[in-house]
Amino acid sequence: MGYRAEQLFSILRSLTPTLLGFVGVLILALPIRFFEGALPTPIIPLVVVFFWSIYSPDFLPSPSVFAIGLLQDLLMGGPLGLWAAVYLVTQFAVSSQRAYFLGREQKVVWMGFALAASVASLMLWLVMSLMSGVLLPVAALSAQVAATILIYPVFGVAFRELHSRVLVEA
Amino acid sequence: MDYLGQDRREGLGRKANSRVILVVLILASVFLLLSSLYSAQASVFKKARESVLDATSPVLEILSGPIAYVNGVIGYIGDYFAVLEQNDALRRENAELRQWMNEALELRSVVSGFEQLQSYQAPPAVRPVDAFIIGEANDAFARSMIINAGRRKNVEPGQAVMDPDGLLGRIVHIGANASRVLLLTDVQSRVPVYVEGADVDGILVGRTRARPTISIIETSDDIEILPGQRVLTSGAEGVLPRGLPVGVVEDGARELEVDLYANYTRARMVRVINFAFPAVSDAAAEETSEEDAGAAADDQSQAEG
Repeated sequence: MGYRAEQLFSILRSLTPTLLGFVGVLILALPIRFFEGALPTPIIPLVVVFFWSIYSPDFLPSPSVFAIGLLQDLLMGGPLGLWAAVYLVTQFAVSSQRAYFLGREQKVVWMGFALAASVASLMLWLVMSLMSGVLLPVAALSAQVAATILIYPVFGVAFRELHSRVLVEA
Repeated sequence: MDYLGQDRREGLGRKANSRVILVVLILASVFLLLSSLYSAQASVFKKARESVLDATSPVLEILSGPIAYVNGVIGYIGDYFAVLEQNDALRRENAELRQWMNEALELRSVVSGFEQLQSYQAPPAVRPVDAFIIGEANDAFARSMIINAGRRKNVEPGQAVMDPDGLLGRIVHIGANASRVLLLTDVQSRVPVYVEGADVDGILVGRTRARPTISIIETSDDIEILPGQRVLTSGAEGVLPRGLPVGVVEDGARELEVDLYANYTRARMVRVINFAFPAVSDAAAEETSEEDAGAAADDQSQAEG
């Protein structure tokens, strides 16, 4: 491989988590309505932010997280800065607990994700309720967060493989 | 083999990844959030939303086809188990609709008789724009959809979007080839409606639940709104035409809830009602203002009431 191609691949590799976040946002914006909308769509960008904030923050710096959140706000039509704030606060909280999570069992990390996702959704609910002036129903949000938490192990394994086999050069 | 969590200075963030930047960005997004409270329609934000709509709509358009197919296939599996009951319900509905058809044909002949009268002026023709739903906010609180028609097809903000059964929502942001529909269930949605039979005007307020509620504006002593009465758009604020079907009054626990005709989980093809209110010519306007300025005001309040 030439030097150019090598360089291009390394840029692509370092951009992969950010691009995965963008793909997660796009998935949230697609008209997926399996079983008449009974299955909520998982918030994949949250998984991306959580995973790389723990295992390799250098691959997902905060400007990337900000961009992912802002894209989601712009695409969903919600108030600007909402998801950006949620993802950034998640990153802040997770990176402060990074030392605890590193090298732990996946079960523990999964519990950590469940906690982080719950806190993020609580924040989302509070802000949205404040902004709309009524206490919003929590059923849809809880279902979506539960789906995200349930699906985390799948993405956890997939991202782990991707990261250790592809992104970081052996 | 396990590289996870090792502190290797790799990736994007050799310089960018610092706590300070993270905190600054959190503050920036909180600032954005607060400023979007006060200037949601600011041109910068609007422009950004429009460009994101335009940039993502080709991707969404390509992907929404296969997704609709998969939705359909999975839907069939669900339908398979309920096929007998559905058949039965459809047969009953068909019988009912045949009676309605006869009544409608009869009414049509009566109306065409009236239309031949000299004094009759036809209402302005509605020129709907057909579009596909290519995106949907799968978000707990934001209820909106993205359709593949925009400025190039003369779609404008505020216009009504209908699925085959009833009103779906209204256009809020437009790009060149795509636009966003704010659904009636979104917490920001406000649509002027009236209840047929009770003749009460109200505002349909979204609650992020499946059923929006009506808040009554005009209060009088004896309003009786019964479950089962139809809810239609009132056209009060002059963007939506009057009489688009919205739903049926349901007996809510505390508030008046509306069971929407529109089916958000099945809608795929929609039409944008490109309605222009009849323009009053200047001469006619002057005449009216000279003749009966007071009567006009009365008329208006009647039309709204």
